[in-house]
Amino acid sequence: MRKLAEWQLALPLALAFASIFLAPLLMLVGVSFFNDDKITQPGFGQWAKFLGDPFSYKVIADTMLLGLKTVCATIVIGYPLALIYLDASPRLQKVLIFIIVMPLLLSVVVRTFAWIVVLGREGVVNTLLMQLGIISEPLRLLQTELGLVISLTQIEMPLMLLPLISVMSRLDPNLRDASSALGASRWRTLFKVIVPLSMPGLVAGCLLVFASSTTAFISQTVIGGVRLIYLPLLIWQQSLVVFNWPFAAVVSLTLLVSVLTVVSALSYLGRRSGGYVHG
Amino acid sequence: MFSRRRLLAGATALGGAAFLPSIAHAKGSVAAAIYPGTWEEAFRAIVAPALKKKDSVDLELQPLFAVDQVAKAKAARGAPPFDAFVLDPGPRITAIQDGLFDKIDIKKISNASKLPAGLVDEWGIGVNAQVVGIAYNPKKVPAPKGWKDLFTDPWVSRLGITGFQTTFGTVSLIEIAKVFGGSETNIEPALVELKKVLPKIAAVGQPAAMPGLFQQGQCDVIYTNTQTVATLKGRGVDIEFVKPDTGAITFLTTLHIAKGAAEVENAYKYLDIVAGKEVQEALTKPPYNFIPVNKDVPLPDYLPMKNLDEMSSYVRHDWAKINPLRAGWIEKFNKEMAK
Repeated sequence: MRKLAEWQLALPLALAFASIFLAPLLMLVGVSFFNDDKITQPGFGQWAKFLGDPFSYKVIADTMLLGLKTVCATIVIGYPLALIYLDASPRLQKVLIFIIVMPLLLSVVVRTFAWIVVLGREGVVNTLLMQLGIISEPLRLLQTELGLVISLTQIEMPLMLLPLISVMSRLDPNLRDASSALGASRWRTLFKVIVPLSMPGLVAGCLLVFASSTTAFISQTVIGGVRLIYLPLLIWQQSLVVFNWPFAAVVSLTLLVSVLTVVSALSYLGRRSGGYVHG
Repeated sequence: MFSRRRLLAGATALGGAAFLPSIAHAKGSVAAAIYPGTWEEAFRAIVAPALKKKDSVDLELQPLFAVDQVAKAKAARGAPPFDAFVLDPGPRITAIQDGLFDKIDIKKISNASKLPAGLVDEWGIGVNAQVVGIAYNPKKVPAPKGWKDLFTDPWVSRLGITGFQTTFGTVSLIEIAKVFGGSETNIEPALVELKKVLPKIAAVGQPAAMPGLFQQGQCDVIYTNTQTVATLKGRGVDIEFVKPDTGAITFLTTLHIAKGAAEVENAYKYLDIVAGKEVQEALTKPPYNFIPVNKDVPLPDYLPMKNLDEMSSYVRHDWAKINPLRAGWIEKFNKEMAK
């Protein structure tokens, strides 16, 4: 009887999930199997068009690579930051968490346009480098993949840090002391104790950053420009400019499947490393 | 357990609640789609109070780009989320072909007689003209004469371009194609020339990002409309408009009544007030900088023409021919420009 009650409690959420997520997803799959933009002739034409075009594979690969590069950059910068947080006094921790969460309180549009001001030809970075005499001509940072990865790293950083910090602050400090008492160097303690134990947080952060950066339409188009073509730009063009909804559905499903594949691979790696720690 | 009586009472209450929005409507309101940004600000500040004052009708504005309006109305299948559209020529033709408009009864729009011939037809009325040409930063580069100049130094390395997603981008690229031997239906020469200078070009961006990129000095030459130039100038940006030697481009922005609109009569009142002298004149002033179409309203002096008749010599395009080709052009632009 009690079990039944619990099951019933989950019912509203399940119904909401089915009606606002599953049903549209099934419709998306359905729409992708029409040959014409008026959605009248069923067929595999749009899939054949997309999968038969080498350009599509380049766009898929570029999108996934962008996600992976952003993930790597957030780890390289975020992990040391999480370690600093771990060693900081409770007061400093509060300040740090405020700084980490602050970008989330700003609209992504504002953050993206702020990066135009920073990376632009007459932006903060170029002005500084030119005044210091390091460069004589402004560097091209906007509308390059480098500029995009730099800005996405900042924009997505909270998504890496929050799960990482929540897992790391639950680590037993005695383990670190034990490691150094047994003669391990700080680096050895880091790689043999802290990193493996923080793996669940790291993997969760990677999943979030990857999924969010591969689908970050605003940042990709405003900072990257339209010469860097990723799947979200194609979806936008096909659904809202050209009105070819079946083709847009094909690209959307491709993005969904590609992101899910990488995300599953990451969480598989996470589970394996978890087994290694506890096994 | 529910008794039949309680169930009926509940159903009546729910049914009554469903009527609430229409009661609100009955007091007088109209839902109009509007372009985000300057258009939304201007209509909120000028059209909404004017409509309230004259007809006691509340104007509910829904900020949507032209293509988004068409997409939403198509998806709504006969129950449009707004009563009136505001569209550029390309999306207008798409909407006509998809049967998204009601035909209008011109007798219900008294200000229609103040609009030049050609601005009123069975599908809607023109309420604003856009003039597209070249904008440049006079402190960074000399004034270019025409489209061809954009492909040579010093302009090419400071040039910012956009693709075929917008009306102004599409018509500018068509004019560039024409200069290099193309036509309204053959944009190939423009892409060939662009590809040659691509490594030099300062920015290839999203249309909405271009004013920001210009303001930040990322690019100093762009193609855009007089309204954007006047707005940026008003913010202190160094920018001037040039009418290209082959002619400035013009197209109309039109208002339409959605098929299946909930408030048809109020939609007519809305169309009428936007075409009226008072509103048109107010929209002309900074910071909105619209180009008026009402014959009683004088043109602002920063425009490249003295009167509306002069605009008949400007370049216009046939969107019935362009629309079917546009999907292919967008795809081609992606592939040719991709890094």
